[in-house]
Amino acid sequence: MEKVIMGNHAVSYGVQLARAQVIAAYPITPQTQVVEILSEFCANGTLKATFIKVESEHSAMAAVVGASIAGARAFTATSSHGLALMHEVLHWASGGRLPIVMANVNRALGPGWNVWTEQTDSLAQRDTGWMQFYCETNQEALDMVLQGFKIAETVLLPVMLVLDAFVLSHTEEPVDVPDQETVDRFLPPYEARYKLQPGDPRSFYGLVAPEHWMELRYKMQKAMEEAVAVTQQVGAEFGQVFGRAYDVVEKYRMDDADLALVTSGSIVGTSREVVDELRDKGQKVGLLKIRMFRPFPVAAVREALAGVKKAAVVDRNISYGVGGIFAAELKSALYGTPHQPTVFPFIIGLGGRDVTPQSIRDIVAYAQEHDAPAEEIIWMEVKR
Amino acid sequence: MSYIITFKSEADMPDTTVSLGTTLYNKTGTWRYMRPVYRNKTSPCNYACPAGEDIVNYLQMVVRGEYEQARQRILEENPLIGVCGRVCPHPCESECNRAELGGAIAIHAMERFLADLPGKHELPRAEKTAPRGAKVAIIGSGPAGLSCAYQLARRGYKVTIFEALPVIGGMLRVGIPAYRLPRDVLDREIAAIQSLGVAIRTGLRLGENLKFEDLRDYQAVLLAVGQHRSRKLNVPGEGAQGVLPGLEFLRRINLGEKVEIGPKVAVIGGGNTAMDAARSALRLGAKTVMVLYRRSRYEMPAIDEEIEETEQEGVRIEYLTAPVEVLTTDGRVAGLECVRMRLGEPDERGRRRPEPIFGSNYTLSVETVIPALGQEADLSFLDEAVRKAAGLIVIDEAAATSRHGVFASGDAATGAGTVAHAIGSGKRAALAIDRLLNGQTLAGFPALNEHVHVAARNVDPTIVRFEDINPAYFTPEPRTAQSQRPAAERVKDFREVNLGFTESEALREAQRCFSCGTCNQCDTCWLYCPDVCIQRREHDSYEFNYDYCKGCGVCAEECPRGAINMEEELKWRK
Amino acid sequence: MSNYQVLSEARGQVLSEARGQVPDQELMSPGHVACPGCGAPMAVRYALKALGENTVLIVVASCWSIIAGPFPYTAVQVPLLHTLFATGGSVASGVKAGLEARGLKDTTVLTLAGDGGTFDIGIQALSAAVERNEDFIYMCYDNEAYMNTGIQRSSATPWGAWTTTTPVKHPKEQPKKDMVAIMAAHRIPYTATATVAYPEDLIRKVQKAKGIRGSKFIHVLSPCPSGWKSEPAQSVLLSRLAVQTRIFPLYEVEHGEKYTINVWPKERVPVTEYMKLQGRFAHLGPEALAQIQENVDREWEKLVAKAGVTHLNREDAKNAKGT
Repeated sequence: MEKVIMGNHAVSYGVQLARAQVIAAYPITPQTQVVEILSEFCANGTLKATFIKVESEHSAMAAVVGASIAGARAFTATSSHGLALMHEVLHWASGGRLPIVMANVNRALGPGWNVWTEQTDSLAQRDTGWMQFYCETNQEALDMVLQGFKIAETVLLPVMLVLDAFVLSHTEEPVDVPDQETVDRFLPPYEARYKLQPGDPRSFYGLVAPEHWMELRYKMQKAMEEAVAVTQQVGAEFGQVFGRAYDVVEKYRMDDADLALVTSGSIVGTSREVVDELRDKGQKVGLLKIRMFRPFPVAAVREALAGVKKAAVVDRNISYGVGGIFAAELKSALYGTPHQPTVFPFIIGLGGRDVTPQSIRDIVAYAQEHDAPAEEIIWMEVKR
Repeated sequence: MSYIITFKSEADMPDTTVSLGTTLYNKTGTWRYMRPVYRNKTSPCNYACPAGEDIVNYLQMVVRGEYEQARQRILEENPLIGVCGRVCPHPCESECNRAELGGAIAIHAMERFLADLPGKHELPRAEKTAPRGAKVAIIGSGPAGLSCAYQLARRGYKVTIFEALPVIGGMLRVGIPAYRLPRDVLDREIAAIQSLGVAIRTGLRLGENLKFEDLRDYQAVLLAVGQHRSRKLNVPGEGAQGVLPGLEFLRRINLGEKVEIGPKVAVIGGGNTAMDAARSALRLGAKTVMVLYRRSRYEMPAIDEEIEETEQEGVRIEYLTAPVEVLTTDGRVAGLECVRMRLGEPDERGRRRPEPIFGSNYTLSVETVIPALGQEADLSFLDEAVRKAAGLIVIDEAAATSRHGVFASGDAATGAGTVAHAIGSGKRAALAIDRLLNGQTLAGFPALNEHVHVAARNVDPTIVRFEDINPAYFTPEPRTAQSQRPAAERVKDFREVNLGFTESEALREAQRCFSCGTCNQCDTCWLYCPDVCIQRREHDSYEFNYDYCKGCGVCAEECPRGAINMEEELKWRK
Repeated sequence: MSNYQVLSEARGQVLSEARGQVPDQELMSPGHVACPGCGAPMAVRYALKALGENTVLIVVASCWSIIAGPFPYTAVQVPLLHTLFATGGSVASGVKAGLEARGLKDTTVLTLAGDGGTFDIGIQALSAAVERNEDFIYMCYDNEAYMNTGIQRSSATPWGAWTTTTPVKHPKEQPKKDMVAIMAAHRIPYTATATVAYPEDLIRKVQKAKGIRGSKFIHVLSPCPSGWKSEPAQSVLLSRLAVQTRIFPLYEVEHGEKYTINVWPKERVPVTEYMKLQGRFAHLGPEALAQIQENVDREWEKLVAKAGVTHLNREDAKNAKGT
């Protein structure tokens, strides 16, 4: 059924359809609507789940870890400082190989207080062993909840789906909300492989000596590597069932592109328009959307950029001392491949500063006009 | 089983940190430098009992409701359970650690309770070790002789007891009044011994109408003649009519003779015989009975309860006084001149020597004087072949006299003066005779001041004292006193004064027992072990799991009864 | 059935009616790596006996994280979840919800944390969970310092005690935090104290907690020979003395209001009897000891008043069987 809903509510519908069993969350702008409507669903029985009204995000993730190892399908949502507060528990979830799904609404980290969109919060957690998916639209956010559980429960790694604050979270877009029966066919009930089971007494997450540690971590990395193919399979299956297929990246008008815009999140939507516009003018510009950031889709990215001369990476985030994070990861993925494009690393839109079609045109223009970036980081629209 | 888990490759490992086995792989016993060991030790009551009874264990049987087993445990060592339960001075109670927390266990009354259990009882059997046709003669049917006869008869010996008096039982029959030891109790216990095939022939006195040559057919002889002669008063007028030596007085009463005593009676002495004489005199109708003792109350050798009961019955005890002359009129007692005493320096046994206070003489008007100053053995029937010293037959640890094949026990050899000693002494002689007649050595018996057991004990000789008990597990419960007939009523006859325990009293009293040094399966060690290293085995015992025991010592510290020792691990590792 | 049932002697005064309440089943194995004489494995052994197999044990970062044994081994025969230091209250809430979602409504969740994970770093999550009246039993085994990291002070460390962060020249200046009062102030259905010298009492309390729906908090004093500088063999003795000196009274609080004292020590045992056995108090002089005695006496009287005991019924209270 088609509804016109904000991104936060799209996530909530996704969680309801996924039949999550335990939800624990703490409110933080701009995530609050996710939990508010889930609370209503639990209260009126349209979602048979326990909603634990925890007192902090650290506790929210801990509660969800507890529920998941107890064998239940568990979900939480947060943003920015809430995500940062959960940090140590994120490691417990991934090392614990728990198929938790979390929605993170990208928001800048203070000080000063800034509630608007920036990707630094989720990217700062890129080493925690969580899978990360960046959503372009509200539809994608809902769809990602459903796929997220399926992928997570297959590879036994937790999944974070990410959407921009306000641009997606609070903006209403048309979203196709699938029916429960179809979702149930796509996503069966959760059967935990590892769980707390009275009668089968096992101890979880205790002391591991160096003699065993590396093998367990090796297995985690292997799971991440398998996750690429799993994500592609699940995305293809989703297409068959719901009519919307997904892959780890999306190539838009990349076939003969000389210059590729490489970006993620809602900026992708803006970029599509500019690419169409420039193509109409005869410029060979394409768009590579990075949907899955963790694991980084190395093979797909290499393949997509193989014949491209220039890659303009648009980062709405920064790792201080290095620069845009997608740009750094991209360079690392391309290292050693023949015919590497010149990478132009752009930083724009931090703290919710608007990214407009003109911004994208300026970015393309810069890349077209320069053989190589004139600085290590190309700051866009900063008064300097 | 090793329980150790190893992985050849990551493919063998689970995806996350989840256990596959238990910590049993980790033998923490290697941490230990001290190890706990269950060591039952000697309880003070067992240490003190001259009859060699296993008191601590029989009390625990009572606690568990195993009354008959408790009885049998006593009878194993001592066939005269009803006798001892009435007349023993209970040195066990004097040593009892429970005295520090509410009062010593009333072991004495407990023994009586077990003796009086209703129903048919049998004496416990023993393995037959007697050589074919072995015969033993015992001279004297007192407690020493009866104990020896019992231990020999149950092993298959043919025993004959020769008793000088017309009645059986020695001092039990003629020295102890019926109100302390009812005749039917004594008869029953003697009959039980006789039912094992022991023959008792009365009216035969060795040295008179029985000679050593008559005993040629017997492979061994036991002299258990006791001490039946009263010590003399050694004052002028002692030979007057109305002076009745205490032992003779009691004997005549017990033999059913009529004894004339005056309305006013003076008993001289401070032992049980003096108390018995005084109380018997009351029962015979004396109007005034007093006991004169030359030392103070503290030094009186009589059992405390006896002294109390004597006073309750109206006997006046005068301390620090002694007779100097029996005043007579026409050869009959008319009065007694006494002198006050004071306590001087201690004698060779540590008792303070009484000295007369010059000029403090005074006169008592009495018609009967009963000296009860102690007993002596009449050993005139023995020649030099049997060595004597200090008025007693000399014996070694095997109760053997200087004459081969002749043994001695009881008061005639030890002078100890109690039934329990006599029983232990007779038992020792029986075990020695058994060895002799089986051609075994007589070496290896415990010293004469230690006790002999029939049943093996397997107990560390360390005696447990109150500081070895963990008082945290006990509350001060008062000792249960057995009921008695009221004094005013009981002086009218010779019926038993003490009434013993009811079952619930006996149980309550037994439950107060600390079980010193003796594991009674209280589970305290099992309960507190932080390493789950104590397993409860079949037959109510425990086992330490030394594979894992870290030697923390909590079990030893907490054991309420000191039955666990911590010992150096290295000594065990050899 | 334990043989000590036949004894009439009280194993501690509260227990004359509680005898025979120790279930036989062992749900903890030897081979765990607690220090010799440690109170913590005793507490868990008793708690698991009280609860049986249909239990999930959550172990918050503390000595028990190590005691339980390394991967791939476990020391208990119930499912065990190790969790982060500050997450006792939160993980337990999630585990309970997860178990119920799977239909395991009767499985007891027992959260085990040390004093650090309860009084300090874990207090926020604990307070939040019990404010929501989440259904679990929270058992704090209190050895009065951060022992697992090497004896650093916590807010549970008693006044005057030595720890590595409250050295002898500057021992702990603050009194021990009253965690039971804090829990009782949340008005949870059941709060209690217990200690390892009184296992039947601890078991009774855990079983009572199991039968109540909602948040239950049990504060267990757990002697630590390593950190208290005491003899391993004396851990049970110390635990008993703590109760008898009234330093650690055994009592229950229901719904934050009804106080019941379980053990009323018959004699007044001076605090020095307890403290002289521990090296962590060795530096205290007579003035400090007198101050401690005064503090203990005052706190005891406050507890007595909370239990509704006045001069009119004090004798009855002293003699009552404390169940």
